[in-house]
Amino acid sequence: MEHIFQHSWQVPFGEVSLKLDPLSLIFLLAVSILVVSAGLYGVGYMRLYRGARPVGMHIFFYLLLALALVVVITANNVILFLGAWEVMTVATYFLIVFNDEKAATRKAGFLYLIATHCGVFCLFLMFFLMSHISGSMNFDAIARTSFSPVVAGTIFCLALLGFGIKAGLLPFHIWLPHAHPAAPSHISALLSGVAIKTGIYGICRILWIMGALPDWCAYVLLIMGVVSGVMGVLYALGQHELKKLLAYHSIENIGIIVLGLGVGSLGRGHQMPFLTVIGFGGALLHVFNHSLFKGLLFLGAGAVIQKTRTGEMDRMGGLSKVMPLVSVLFLVGALAICGLPLFNGFISEFIIFFGLFQGLIHLPLPGAAACALGILALALMGALALACFTKVYGTVFLGRSRRAGEPVMPGDPSRWMTIPMLILAGSCVWIGLAPETMGRIAFSGGEYIAHLDSSRFNLDQVMAPLSGVIGGAFVFLALGSLLIFLRRFLLRRLSVPVNETWACGFSQVTPRFQYSSASFAYSIVNFVKALLLSRRHGGQLDTIFPGKAHVSSSVHDAAEESMFRPLLSRLGGVSKILDDNQVRHTQWYLMYIFLFLIFLLAWKMR
Amino acid sequence: MVSDVYLFIFNISISVENEMMMLILIILHWLIALLLSPFLLGVISKVKAFFAGRVGPSLFQPYYDLSKLFQKSAVYSQTTTWVFRAAPVVALASALLLVLVIPLGGLDAPLKFQGDIFLVAYILALARFFMIAASFDTGFSMEAMGASREAFFACLSELVLFMNFITLALLTRSISLSQMIGADSPLSWSHLGPTLLLVVASLFVVLLAENCRIPIDDPDTHLELTMIHEVMILDHSGVDLAYMTYAAALKFLIFATVLVPILSGWTGVFIKDMSIYITGLLGLAIVVGIVESSMARLRLNRVRNLLLIAFVLAFFGFIVTMWRG
Repeated sequence: MEHIFQHSWQVPFGEVSLKLDPLSLIFLLAVSILVVSAGLYGVGYMRLYRGARPVGMHIFFYLLLALALVVVITANNVILFLGAWEVMTVATYFLIVFNDEKAATRKAGFLYLIATHCGVFCLFLMFFLMSHISGSMNFDAIARTSFSPVVAGTIFCLALLGFGIKAGLLPFHIWLPHAHPAAPSHISALLSGVAIKTGIYGICRILWIMGALPDWCAYVLLIMGVVSGVMGVLYALGQHELKKLLAYHSIENIGIIVLGLGVGSLGRGHQMPFLTVIGFGGALLHVFNHSLFKGLLFLGAGAVIQKTRTGEMDRMGGLSKVMPLVSVLFLVGALAICGLPLFNGFISEFIIFFGLFQGLIHLPLPGAAACALGILALALMGALALACFTKVYGTVFLGRSRRAGEPVMPGDPSRWMTIPMLILAGSCVWIGLAPETMGRIAFSGGEYIAHLDSSRFNLDQVMAPLSGVIGGAFVFLALGSLLIFLRRFLLRRLSVPVNETWACGFSQVTPRFQYSSASFAYSIVNFVKALLLSRRHGGQLDTIFPGKAHVSSSVHDAAEESMFRPLLSRLGGVSKILDDNQVRHTQWYLMYIFLFLIFLLAWKMR
Repeated sequence: MVSDVYLFIFNISISVENEMMMLILIILHWLIALLLSPFLLGVISKVKAFFAGRVGPSLFQPYYDLSKLFQKSAVYSQTTTWVFRAAPVVALASALLLVLVIPLGGLDAPLKFQGDIFLVAYILALARFFMIAASFDTGFSMEAMGASREAFFACLSELVLFMNFITLALLTRSISLSQMIGADSPLSWSHLGPTLLLVVASLFVVLLAENCRIPIDDPDTHLELTMIHEVMILDHSGVDLAYMTYAAALKFLIFATVLVPILSGWTGVFIKDMSIYITGLLGLAIVVGIVESSMARLRLNRVRNLLLIAFVLAFFGFIVTMWRG
């Protein structure tokens, strides 16, 4: 199942060696479907900027990014991989800062560039270590080398750091919620759908290369997944800005994927091939599924933002009457991301749940306890994601418009923008109702990571329950249509009046009476305020007779505010001291160089 | 023909005989659930009336209410969209689907497979998604206020539910609901007494929470500000309200049905099992009625504590199971 393309390259240690294997296949599928649909969408979306902004440059970097993504996923050589990785990073930077007249966008782009380069630094170290020990730059050759546990552990940690920054694992995610809202929407879709998945791809590739890792690595993966997942969705719940909320949800889904990888590694550590393949396969299927529904949601958000000219959810409302098609497609994405049956999110979460329960039942104590933690976290993530997406769908598309000023023009966006969304929504439903094809592809990817072949276990153990799920879904659809017809039948002779909403006796209800996204999320955010740095200003009545009051609330990122900001400002302080001690005379530097040369000479002569 | 459909949907080929049996089983499940579930609500209100020293409405009052609602027309708000009309359909369809996953008395669950517990949890979530969306759709704060509470409490009760699933999966080494609750082979109380007691206690709290009973929510309250579930369906009327009410009744039946086999286990004799089952259901309805009559509704910011207590109980059950190996 491997196809290798080889060509010589005039770069030291470099060779153009591309390999298509089951692991790259699933990532490549995600890249292809998303690059095409986001690109088509971009044609419609960028119309607004034609003539005003450098659209040509944008298209150039878009295509460069697409190429770099494909090379990153298929590269079979360290130098080629790192080269493509850099091209991908830089191309993404230029795509993010498209609207660079805004200071926030420039800042977000810069943060992205710094964060990813910190990651690349770890990757250089990691690949250097690997190539140094194995004596080759070729992935296949490195995979044949066996590493001592200490080295393997070091490589794993460097990979987790380097690739984790790209993937947005907590607490290295801080660039992500800034970069996604700053970029144009089809770029956010591509970023969230596939660009951050290259981090996951990297982790998978390392799992494949390293073979057996020390036992603790599986626990680290599982716990990182749990933390990212739960915290990601909690932060998402506290957001007021649509694209920022979706960005935090990417962190949650990366958490689910890493959780799946953790289950797979646990299985591999305990020589349980079935568990291994379920864990890795579930994670890979979730990679693909998340590309579909998150791409869809970002494209929908782009349509909403272009229509309302704001990203603030509490300024929206009633958009399903304005954009009926977009609202239905967004609902598909929302249901899929909550992992609800009939849609693809449920299938991959089902498989990961299945793996976790298998681990719980069959593994000895520490493994079983870790699986129990994973199950609880995944259940909590599901419930919180539901709260989060009912909030989004309810405040953006349902109810009445909260907008001050003139109403928006009704009408769905152009076909350039709706057809890509239709493709993605259709794929979500397709995998949700017929998971066989993609499931097999994902499981063969899982087998490939674990170096297993499918003769050693029976995949029908998980495929048969999946067909039970599909059966249930079809019964549900049949029941639903039956009930719709029953209602129509019962109402056939009666008049069905349309009236105002019953407002408990209030008259003259204005749209401002509606619950806002912040008030909907308040009960949960308030419950976990210790974790979230949630802040509230105003809202207290301090006089006997209430006058005008104002309340604002916001949720701040704890990793950013309490970890990186103090750390970086300390670092800035240290550099300032060093800077002050600089003597700005060329002669001094010449002397430094001379002294260093003498030191080297002495060291060599020793 | 039906066997072809079965092959297509369930990927299982079954003989004509089995196929007829399966169809009959499915229809029996729906019949029993639809006929029995409103009666349980009648029992609860009768018990409450008894404790309040009233005669109370007839045991069959929920049936009269439902038939009245089914004959009435619906009023729709001009703010609402199709989501509002979809919610009752989704709620009732998902409740009817769940009826197929649970064993009713001696009747096996028609839809059972390893991992059906995830289907149960997420079908419940699907119904909840549409209920919450519908309450946003009305464009008024009261409905969304209830929805906000529902979303929050659901997070906690989902945690409790899965904690219990974990314990039961460890006990029975299975992740199919019928086996986990001891409907296929009874759980032994003499061996597992303490664990099962903890599981039953925390699942009972989940039953109260998910079915909006006192002390979490008061189905009979008349103050919209303090309601959870009732306020969410404030704008539904006629047939839609009937769907919602029926779905709520079925949901109570489903949660009670999960508890009964854990408590007693089946004997394998159909008539005996059915009578144990129905007695168990009535018993649970009476217990719920007693709880409702003897307690006041908790203040809203205390509800989470009750659910957390249920979680702690379930967690102890897990610890005991783990410790015993």
